Amino acid sequence: MSDTPSEAPVRSILPKWVRGPQDFVGGLAMVAVALFALWASSDLQGMHGFSFGAGTAPRMFAVLLLLLGGVIALMGILNDGPHIGTYAWRGPLFVSAAIVFFALAIRPLGLVVTAFASFLIAALGSVETKWLEAVIVGACLTAGCAVLFPYILGLPMPMFPRFLIQ
Amino acid sequence: MDIFANLAHGFVVALSPINLLMCLIGALVGTLVGVLPGIGTIATVAMLLPITFGLPPVGALIMLAGIYYGAQYGGSTTSILVNIPGEATSVVTALDGHQMARQGRAGPALAIAAIGSFFAGCVATVLIAVLGAPLTKLALAFGPAEYFSLMVLGLIFATVLAKGSILKAIAMIVFGLLLSMVGSDIETGASRMAFNIPELADGLGFATVAMGVFGFAEIIRNLDAGAEMSRDLVQQKITGLMPTRKDLKDSFPAIVRGTILGSILGILPGGGAVIASFAAYTLEKKIAKDPSRFGRGAIEGVAAPESANNAAAQTSFIPLLTLGIPPNAVMALMVGAMTIHGIVPGPQVMVKQPDLVWGMIASMWIGNLMLIIINLPLVGIWVRLLRVPYRLMFPSIVIFCAIGIYSVNNAPVDVVLAGAFGLLGYWLIKHDFEPAPLLLGMVLGPLMEENLRRALLISRGDWSVFVSRPLSAVLLAIAAGLLVLAVLPSLRAKRDEVFVESEG
Repeated sequence: MSDTPSEAPVRSILPKWVRGPQDFVGGLAMVAVALFALWASSDLQGMHGFSFGAGTAPRMFAVLLLLLGGVIALMGILNDGPHIGTYAWRGPLFVSAAIVFFALAIRPLGLVVTAFASFLIAALGSVETKWLEAVIVGACLTAGCAVLFPYILGLPMPMFPRFLIQ
Repeated sequence: MDIFANLAHGFVVALSPINLLMCLIGALVGTLVGVLPGIGTIATVAMLLPITFGLPPVGALIMLAGIYYGAQYGGSTTSILVNIPGEATSVVTALDGHQMARQGRAGPALAIAAIGSFFAGCVATVLIAVLGAPLTKLALAFGPAEYFSLMVLGLIFATVLAKGSILKAIAMIVFGLLLSMVGSDIETGASRMAFNIPELADGLGFATVAMGVFGFAEIIRNLDAGAEMSRDLVQQKITGLMPTRKDLKDSFPAIVRGTILGSILGILPGGGAVIASFAAYTLEKKIAKDPSRFGRGAIEGVAAPESANNAAAQTSFIPLLTLGIPPNAVMALMVGAMTIHGIVPGPQVMVKQPDLVWGMIASMWIGNLMLIIINLPLVGIWVRLLRVPYRLMFPSIVIFCAIGIYSVNNAPVDVVLAGAFGLLGYWLIKHDFEPAPLLLGMVLGPLMEENLRRALLISRGDWSVFVSRPLSAVLLAIAAGLLVLAVLPSLRAKRDEVFVESEG
């Protein structure tokens, strides 16, 4: 269930007094999120009288997160903890690329082209992909989705590239 | 009796052809997800949320519920046969279940798991029917202050029962609360933290975040480990499904205990099926005359956790249906589904939507019956499904998710947002933050804010209202007590012990 902490000695860019880098960085990130939220909600009205303004609750939660993040970061300094796990680049890169491509292409190119192309882009995310197999499965999946979503489920969406239909 | 009239009404609803079909689809999809490792219940329910758009609300919820309890059945199958828990809830089943399979007793193990699940399902169905009405009455006596305190208690429960650091879990909840603030303020209509992006004016879509944090993030994480997970398929013939009389005698008390424990843990906010199966297994081991049998093919070690997880999966609907408060992440998604269909979850649902509530309850019993049929004779088909390699599964899931999110609002921005939340989820996993509390916080955020505002408005800005009203004070006291207990070192060690069991 839990991630196995990497056994290899990780060269950390963090100073030595940070004993639990995973918590330290995690806590700091939460602090950053909280500060960002405080900034983003700074233009909203606060309490007037005893009734809440639009900005009261967001600021309340942001301050709470700020405190919690601070404590987590502090724990990262005081307690020995796991290192930051290594990030793979291949999976995240190509899965994200497939998602972004899908978002950009669905309107102009339609479901059929977009789904098939995104499938192949996502498939790049694994080194074990076998291309012939991926093309066949991708084509079947595209066909399945092209029937399932617009016809069986009645969700309207463009099917083919715009320039072909016109 | 009211209950019988209600249940009868429910069965009429649930037995209509369309709802029967939905129930069957839910049970099938649930089993499928339960069998396949690398795709969880939460991700699936999130993925199918948009699909339920075109369906009538009753059918949609019946299907989603079916996925949840169906996955509990499916998870046990692969745990026993191939030692790969398809679901977190079946991790402990693998300990003894797979040992039984190795000793050539795969059939009885599967049968006991199914019988236990069915028994638990029946009990839980009755329990929901019995407890529904009184709890709803109680809920109607709740004012805003009580509601707020109850939600605080629920969130604290969720963190105490979750695995990992309590502090980090609370941070995740608050993060979720913050995310829920994005969009228009309900009372003043002011746009909050939306940065003039029109797609954010309505707030972050719940399905979008869930699919990102659970769907995409899970895929990216699984790719880390290499797409080819080791699957040592034991392709043995399963012979003799029927358990012996001794098996039945040994496992029956365990099934009853598992059911009771699971039902209780399911109702408690933050509980749910995972914790129930762990707790049931630990209990069996503690009270067994010969604990050393466990881990070597003890049938109680299969019966108890499987009954418990199924009972908990069902009773966790109780707080959702009666109080409108989701006790875990899957139920949070059910709130999302209800909202999509314009149903505001809460005590009024029981009264205003009897078709929905009782139909769903009745469908659970029917679903359980279907699951026994789906799982026992067809077990071979499910095992064969394990041969589908992950390298083909993951791009399919990506595309399916993308189409699903796009179809909610026909908004490409949503797809990109989900992708961003996927990367966020990946980062969270790397830093040992649990994404489930985030989701819970996000659902409860608007409810908490509204009730907090109202409570303070009624009390004219007096914060002591939360402790001066007895019911609210009790709820907050329990929450505080839990938090203190959980941080105490002795209980911490016990709590960790429960989770360590899984790695054994």
